[in-house]
Parts: sequence; C-alpha cells; structure tokens
Amino acid sequence: MGKYILKRVLQFIPVFLGVTLILFALENIVPGDPIKLMAGEKKLDPQTELNLRATYHLIETDSNGKPVRDSNGKTIPTPMWKRYVLYVNGLLHGDLGTSYQRKGQSVASILADKYPYTIRLSIVAIIIEAVVGIGAGMVSALKRYSFWDILVTLVTSIMVAMPAYWLGMLLQLFFGVFLKNATGGAFYLPISGAVGPGAEFDDWVYYILPAITLAAVSTAYTARIMRSQLLEVMNQDYIRTARAKGLSRRDVIWHHALKNALIPVVTYIGIDFGGMMAGAILTETVFNWPGVGYETYRAITQRDWPIVMGSVTVIVVVVMVINLIVDISYAFLDPRIRYGAGKND
Amino acid sequence: MTEKKDMYEKNKQVSAEAPNQQEEELDSSAPTRTLWGDAWNRLRKNKLAIIAIVWIIFMVILALSADLWVPQTLGKPNAQIYDVRLPMSAKHPFGTDQLGRDVLSRVIYGARISLAVGVLATAISTVIGLVMGAIAAYYGGIWDTIIMRLADIFLAFPYTLFVIAMLAVIGPGIQNVFIAIGILGWPSIARVFRSAILTVKENDYVDAARSMGASDLRIITRHIFPNSVASIVVYATMNIGGAILTESALSYLGMGVVPPDPSWGSLIEAGQTYLSTEPWLMIMPGLAILTTVLAFTLLGDGLRDALDVKMKDA
Repeated sequence: MGKYILKRVLQFIPVFLGVTLILFALENIVPGDPIKLMAGEKKLDPQTELNLRATYHLIETDSNGKPVRDSNGKTIPTPMWKRYVLYVNGLLHGDLGTSYQRKGQSVASILADKYPYTIRLSIVAIIIEAVVGIGAGMVSALKRYSFWDILVTLVTSIMVAMPAYWLGMLLQLFFGVFLKNATGGAFYLPISGAVGPGAEFDDWVYYILPAITLAAVSTAYTARIMRSQLLEVMNQDYIRTARAKGLSRRDVIWHHALKNALIPVVTYIGIDFGGMMAGAILTETVFNWPGVGYETYRAITQRDWPIVMGSVTVIVVVVMVINLIVDISYAFLDPRIRYGAGKND
Repeated sequence: MTEKKDMYEKNKQVSAEAPNQQEEELDSSAPTRTLWGDAWNRLRKNKLAIIAIVWIIFMVILALSADLWVPQTLGKPNAQIYDVRLPMSAKHPFGTDQLGRDVLSRVIYGARISLAVGVLATAISTVIGLVMGAIAAYYGGIWDTIIMRLADIFLAFPYTLFVIAMLAVIGPGIQNVFIAIGILGWPSIARVFRSAILTVKENDYVDAARSMGASDLRIITRHIFPNSVASIVVYATMNIGGAILTESALSYLGMGVVPPDPSWGSLIEAGQTYLSTEPWLMIMPGLAILTTVLAFTLLGDGLRDALDVKMKDA
C-alpha cells in the first residue's frame, strides 16, 4: 500500500510539470505584451516599465534586482526556459506569482479569497448529489420497471443532455421570477450573488439554486450508477442466501446489498468532488458567484496569466490529491482491491 | 470520420435490404450476417434509438436546407427586422429577439453550427485518438508510456478552462472552436481504442497475419481496426453530444461563434438578459440543445446495446 501511494505521488511529478509547461507555452504564444496590457490606455514612464519588467522576470536582472544591460545599453529579455525554471522554483517555495492586472496582488491571496466560495458551494452540491442521486437510484432499482423507475430514467437522461447553465436559468426563471410573481413577492429565492447586500436573505439561501445547478448532471450520473450497481448486487448469490435464511427484504437491502452497491457510487462522488474543486465556470457565471472558476475565466480573457497559471496549478494538484484519496479509500472500502500487488494501476 | 461514414453506408445498405429480412426475422432464427447487419436488426427494435435517429436526420435536413426555405435574410447579419421581442405567434413561433430578428430562423441556423461542431470536433478527436491509441497499444513499451502520460496530462486539466485557454491563444471564431474541442478530446478516445486494440491484438488471426508477412500498418488497418471499430463508433456518437454541449457553453461565454452568427449557446446568452420578461428567447435554443444532445446520447446507448460493446472507459 505504501509503495502504491509513493508510486502515485511520483506520478504527480510528470503530470504537474506537463501541465505547467503547457500553460507556460500557451502564455508565451498568446499575443500581447502583459506590461502594455497592464498599463491599458495610459503610457507608462520608461523607468516604471523597466521596474515592472524586472519584477515579473521578463528581463534579465542581477542579484540586486537591477536590470542587466548588454553592450548597447539595452535590456536582455529573459529566455523562456529560465522563466519557466524561475516559475517552478517559485511554486516549490509556495509562491504562486503576482497578478499582472490586480495592482500587484499575489495570486495566492486572490485564490484564498475565491476558494472558500468554491469549496462551500461544492460541499452543498455534493450533499445534494449524494442524497438525491443515491435515493433516486435506490428507488429506481428496488422498484424496477415501476412508474418511479421510468421517471428516474427519463429525468436523468434529460439532465445529462441539458446544458447546466441553461438549467440554472430555468431555476432562476421559476424560483426567482415566476414564484415571486405568483406569491406576490412573499416567497422567492435569490438568483445571483453569494451574500445579501442588504441582508435580504440569510446567507445559506444564496447557495440553493447554484448548488442545484452544479449538482444536476452529477446527480443524474450518481442515480444511474446507483441503480445499476444495486441491481447487480441484488442478483448475487449472497443476497439470495440471506433471503433464504429468512431475513426480510428490507434487512437484506440495508445490511447486505447497500454496502457493496455503494462502493462505486462513493468513488464517483469523490472524484466528482475533485472536479468541482476546479470551479464551475458556467454555474458561477450564471449566478454571478465569486468562485475560483469564474476568476480563472476572467483572468484568461484579460490575459492575466499569473492568475491562470496559479489557479490551474492549484486546481490540478487538488484534483490529483482528491483522486488519490478516493483510490486509497476504495481499497479500504473494498478489501478485494489490493493496490501494489500485481499490475493493478 | 471514416469509420462513421462506413457505418452510415453500411447501415444504409442494410436498411435497403431490411424489408426482405423482416419476414425471415419473424421465424425468430434470422441467419447471422455481418456485424452491422445484426446490429441494425437489434437497433431497429429499440424505439428510443429510432426516434433519436429520426430526430437527428430531421435536424440535419433542417440545417442543410435552411438556405432554401428559411427566408435568406432571416438568419443573416442583415436580417429582416420585425418589431423587437415579439411574443410567440404563428408568424414567429419562437418570437423575435432584441434586435427584431426571428428567433426560429436563428435557431435553425444555429443547428448548422452546433451539428458541424459536434461532428467535426469529434472527427478531429477521433482521428488523433485513433492514431495515438494505435501507436500506444500496438508498439507498447516506451511509446505506450509517453502517449498515456501525455493523455494523463491532458485529462488532468480542468476541461472547460483548458478549452477557454486554448481559444484565448488561437482566438475566438468557429473554426478555432472545432480545433480546440477536437484537439483536447483525443485522450479519452485514445484510451478506448488502446484498450480495444490490446484485447484484439492477442487473437490468433493477428499472429497468423504477421506470420504471413503482413506489415504493421496492414495488420492495424485490416485486422485490428475492423475488430475494434464498434467501441469507437459508440464512443464517437456519444462524444458528438458532448461536443455540442461544449460548443454551446463556449458560445454562451462569448468565446465561440462571433456575432451576428447564431449559435444555440449565444442565443441563450442573448436571451438571458430578458429572462424575466421574454423567457422564450432563452428557453427555445436550450430546448434545441437538449433534444439534439439527448438524441445523440440515446443513439449511442442504442448502438452500444446493438453492437454489444462494453464501455469500460467512458
């Protein structure tokens, strides 16, 4: 087991280097000079511009941080490989870099602002996904071919085919507009933002619609996996044996079948939670949610590459770690799985 | 793309024969013909899959023939202008938008872009994925390691962010959307194809072909590919729906088609502003996406059952 974990952690390294390298290449292909973009309409005075270039390691500097000049008195642009090494070196020292456009704010502090919103929204979404998905899947499997089974199959098919942001708007339309009009403004849900400016709602109310939107597609998948797993488990010999011993169907389901059927479902939910940590650009855009996905998207459109690099790096590492935890817990949940022995990666 | 075409052509041939076969089928022991013949017989009995096929064909015809019968100007930049934001009526079944353009016409023109992106992006991913998967599985060793690690790197990226970053580099516009979605979609296809080849490769007929002096390329194209094509067809069909969804999301974010060209995603984006007063502006294009993606998913499900493919990696 220890060997397996070590192997997996070692596999992080090439993926991590590959991801940062690809991002770095993208940054360097993208047209536009970041310092000029930073200045916008204004013209920077040459000294400020020089200092900025030196701070962002765009030109070669000496040990005092002063720009190095060649024999013609011109500054020397830092070669790309050197900037990449500097970047990775910074990462290893916990320095994610500095935003180009947010007045020298550090990327780490920007992400620290945004991540809590993403994490809280993801947790609410995961709870919805687990409760509704597992519940619907169970009903569907246990009452196979009934009205409820057909309903669940139908709804999950539609959910999977639906653009999530469109679902978000439908929810806004129903809970924010239609309900408001129908009840004369007595009851409705907030359709945007994360906290009430005038404290019109309690904070948690703001989570309802975005969390449903974020959870919708995965809930459908969870229900489907739950259904097929439970059906498969219910057909196995040990279930028949338990029934033959005289246990009630209810006991068999709760004490024997569920435990095994849940393993792949829990795995799916865990991996999905990792995916949500990447932020949900679309959900965050529809609901004007100040999370990490929208921030990264904004940074891409504004060519604020330090934020893009920093947040994608953090996202990739978080996702890899969560996937590893899921895989390890899988081995604990299901003793049949033994990592490290044989070719089981 | 080629294998999709193959499939369609073969399906067409089979469906032409189908009426004669029906009687044979009634006495329950239809003789086994080809893989595709059997698959079609099974697919025909799947009502959902047939509805899906009919819907897809309907959308394709609608998209291809739009220039012929949708009044030319309607979907175009110099669209004929009516009153703005008219409600749904017989003349404008989906109403008119904020610039007074007929929304139904724009949804029909949007079908063009969405279907084209779905099919072309999938074709690009499939071709790259097939080549990569074939190299990885057939040659194994260092090639396998390099390609599969590369696939891991691609899959480690948050997908939507990666597509957006890619578009930021190569610029918005519909061709670039094909390219970005297409290029970034290869790893999963490569994985599916790789595992399919690894299974097929062990068969005796591959050894037999090699012992007769067949070249690697010939073995791959003549023996391995035809025997693993089923899983690829299923995967590609489902992938089309995913590509349509991605395109709509990109256009919704303003990174996809450039206005005034209509795409379902950008129509939803435009309609969002009038959510509370003219909700149909955003509902109708969304329904178009939903039904089309659903059709591709159902067709994929149907093909999977008909071709008896086990989806391991999907």
